Amino acid sequence: MSGDCWSQAAMSDSLLALFSLAATVAFYYLTKLAYQRKRVVWRAPILVAPLAVIALVMGLRIPLDDYFHYTHLLVMMLGPATIAFAVPIYQQRGIIRRYPVTLVIGVLTGLLLGLLSSWLLVRLFPLPVELANSMLVRSVSTPFAMEAASTFGGVPDITAMLVLITGITGMVLCEPVFRVVRIRTSLAKGVALGASAHGAGTAKARELGNEEGVIASLTMIFTGIAMVMGAPLFAHVLG
Amino acid sequence: MAKTTSFCKVILQLALFCGLLWLCNLWVNHAGWSIPGSVIGLGILVFLLATRVLPVRAVQAGSTWLLGELLLFFIPPVVSILKYQMLIREDGLMILASVVLGTMMVLTGTAWVVDRVFTLEQRLNERRLLESGGHV
Repeated sequence: MSGDCWSQAAMSDSLLALFSLAATVAFYYLTKLAYQRKRVVWRAPILVAPLAVIALVMGLRIPLDDYFHYTHLLVMMLGPATIAFAVPIYQQRGIIRRYPVTLVIGVLTGLLLGLLSSWLLVRLFPLPVELANSMLVRSVSTPFAMEAASTFGGVPDITAMLVLITGITGMVLCEPVFRVVRIRTSLAKGVALGASAHGAGTAKARELGNEEGVIASLTMIFTGIAMVMGAPLFAHVLG
Repeated sequence: MAKTTSFCKVILQLALFCGLLWLCNLWVNHAGWSIPGSVIGLGILVFLLATRVLPVRAVQAGSTWLLGELLLFFIPPVVSILKYQMLIREDGLMILASVVLGTMMVLTGTAWVVDRVFTLEQRLNERRLLESGGHV
């Protein structure tokens, strides 16, 4: 009798886990489709998809263990995705050869400003220490940020959320900021978007023009790599 | 039909990326390095492509898919903020304020610096072009 109850519970758990995976994938593709129809910021999948999934998990009271049972397979794809960045690097080698100085300076400036701004701000706003540490890597692309987070004593999960908010902020604020600071060259806009707002910024840069999009994605990739490789050093200096 | 072949291509290339990652992780663990296997794998793949050992079309479809669906892969970690509800309730506004301010600082600073550097580099490129092709 009790065995029956147990197997029933186990079955509903794994069903819930399967449902969580299906719902996450479905919500993602639905929001993507909706954004393709009408491109406005508040419909951007980076904003809507996570919110919708969080609302679902909260609304149905899905236990988090069940939610992550299969969906962690999605997170595991961040590793192969990091390797996949090799293809755009190879294909855009022409741009790298044409603007090496701009790229190097852009990556270094973005990386250092990303670290410094977070370091300064968490001193201004007193935040719990693991949160403050997770904040440091928020300006680089998720696979790199989650990889580097623990080196700084941060929590990868919290970092993922901060990276997301950073991306949305960059997308929304870039145009007014560029107007106020009077940025003349569109390439500078591309580099700044890639360095400050990673994938979301790159998507925005692609709307500005092809070359801007390419240089944004290169800046994003190199800033991410530099963050991961330099993490032990930066953590030592800032810690 | 064309759709099925391209689907198979993506799956096959995904397996290739995962295999490379697995090998690199083994290597990194064995050597005890602090650089993650995925970044080593990225370096190796750039090298293989640059030396033409591997043609781009062998990894193109898989790469496009992985990079196109990046957001899907980090929805679950974002959902895990439900574990930290207390934190969000207490410090939510401060988190938001520091992220927004920080992003503005990076955006402004990087754009300002690169704006100057790029203008300089473009002038250098133009001069180089004039010098090499000026007499044509």
